[in-house]
Amino acid sequence: MATENLFETDVLVIGGGMAGLLAAIKARGQGVTVSLVDKGYAGKSGSSPYAFYFGAFNPAWGHNLDNWMSHVNTIGEYMNHREWTEILFKDSYERFRELVSWGVEFERDEEGEIYISRFPPIHTESVQLKKRVFGQVIRKQAVKTGVKIFDRVMMTDLLQQDGGITGAMGVAIDSYELYVFKARATVMCSGCASYRPSGWPVSELTADGEAMAYRAGAEISGKEFNEIKSTNADYPAVTMGMSLWLKETLEAQLHDAGPPQVQPIKCINAEGKEVRGLIGSNFMELEFEAHTGRAPLYSAEGYETRPQRRTGGAAAGLSVHTSEGIWPVNTQCASSLPGLYAAGDSCASMMCGAVYPGVGYGIAGAAVTGARAGTAAAEYALQADKPVTDEQQIARIKKAVLAPVERKGGFSPRWVTQLLQNTMIPYFITFIKKEDRMKAALTLVEFMRDHLVPMLFARDAHELRLAHETKNIVHTAEAKLKASIFRTESRGTHYREDYPHRDDPAWLKWVLLKEENGEMKAFTKPIPREWWPDLSRPYSERYPNKFPGE
Amino acid sequence: MAIERIDPELCNGCGLCVQSCPMDVIRIDEKNHKAVIMYPEDCMLCGWCVADCPKNAVYLSPDKESPLIVSWG
Repeated sequence: MATENLFETDVLVIGGGMAGLLAAIKARGQGVTVSLVDKGYAGKSGSSPYAFYFGAFNPAWGHNLDNWMSHVNTIGEYMNHREWTEILFKDSYERFRELVSWGVEFERDEEGEIYISRFPPIHTESVQLKKRVFGQVIRKQAVKTGVKIFDRVMMTDLLQQDGGITGAMGVAIDSYELYVFKARATVMCSGCASYRPSGWPVSELTADGEAMAYRAGAEISGKEFNEIKSTNADYPAVTMGMSLWLKETLEAQLHDAGPPQVQPIKCINAEGKEVRGLIGSNFMELEFEAHTGRAPLYSAEGYETRPQRRTGGAAAGLSVHTSEGIWPVNTQCASSLPGLYAAGDSCASMMCGAVYPGVGYGIAGAAVTGARAGTAAAEYALQADKPVTDEQQIARIKKAVLAPVERKGGFSPRWVTQLLQNTMIPYFITFIKKEDRMKAALTLVEFMRDHLVPMLFARDAHELRLAHETKNIVHTAEAKLKASIFRTESRGTHYREDYPHRDDPAWLKWVLLKEENGEMKAFTKPIPREWWPDLSRPYSERYPNKFPGE
Repeated sequence: MAIERIDPELCNGCGLCVQSCPMDVIRIDEKNHKAVIMYPEDCMLCGWCVADCPKNAVYLSPDKESPLIVSWG
């Protein structure tokens, strides 16, 4: 029934957001052939379009590297990889200038100078992208340099040969056409993970790249940390997207729906006290308030005239920007699998650590890692052998990819996703953790993995995509639970009631996950001693952000 | 709810909404060459369709319904 389209390319980029487009352009700059594949439309997909703050470090603007580093080290609670944090800052200005040279517009002041946003008391500062359109400018640049773009095709599996990665294959989202890309090097830029939560426009971001890489044997990391966002409880599905570019047209409706979480939030709890979530904090104040029975919470602004109830979980399933996904084994974004690179929110560079430290790091991080990964992938491709066409592997994967359509019945991907959401999104699983509750959730998630996912049923090509995404959502839930159970302490956005304090130096480590004998195994990598906090200082000085009871 | 309606009187079949939707909610009807809402339950209210439509033909509401909980489905 399904036709196969076979392509050969030197470098394959999976995902067309900031990271993927940068990787593709940089790889082309090395003179190799580049194909970029996106399951939506490259330049409009992923979380990139919603970015506006772009963290650009520039000493000429008065920026001090020690101050910027010290901010991330402290807020990231020593989980940030300092080499990467420094790379983020040092490469960011060049990426900014390059984007400008391609025609990407940034906000300027009345004199035409680049507008720099400041967020005291945070040291780091950002320039501001003109909203929404920049992805399409970068896509134009990619096409101009000769990148071949394939839209509306979802990659589902990596191709393997002799322990390395030799491309990927997947299926078109509106037909059953298979797409097989043989590539000397592959760059995974498929964005972050999510449980398709209400309130944040990330429903297509389902850890596809991380899941593919994990199944091929890669190491993944960053899974125990969280992105914390809240949304309006009465209209929880109103997202940042609507707020960013529909404000004028839907002002009246949005007025009732209330603002999604874009800025630090001020709320009033049930006892009438003000509660704040600050930029660069673990931002979980609202969840703690609910846990202690002081919900409902109302947005403090406009509270008297127009009370807006808040609820959490608007970004449920996300870890921290730049700090989740495939573990890079060097600063060129190489994974542990030869021929596979990762960038953006698919790459666990740990630039930010345990907490997203402010604004502007995600999109800048995507540009920085994208550029490095693309360059490195091209260099690898230039010396790699041409992959063989492994007909047996392709046939085996094709059968598995189309299985949900071939079977006569089974479970709907939407039903399984809903079950997963009900299991994972409640605050007392995802945000206020405890071993017994996480293990309870894990029992159900493993049941979904072993019994429901293998029997997903798709009625058409659209549902086939949903089926593969659901499989990946179940994977990321398992990974987040296993990493969280494994880390027996609290740190940043990973908070456990049963281990409610940071445990230095025992847990000055990163948690990695890898498949071994069909099981997801957790292990640690030590954080270099030079990056540890000063253990002679009291705990309260090392960790100014206090958890409840501290 | 969520994406509610694409006005066929205004729609010119340009397909920008189909291109823009990250969740593949909208398709072009082969017969009348107009945009149709195929999978409204997957709409995540990102608003790209409304923002990109040159004819203001798309209507999005802040409400989103979700399916009832059933034993299997």
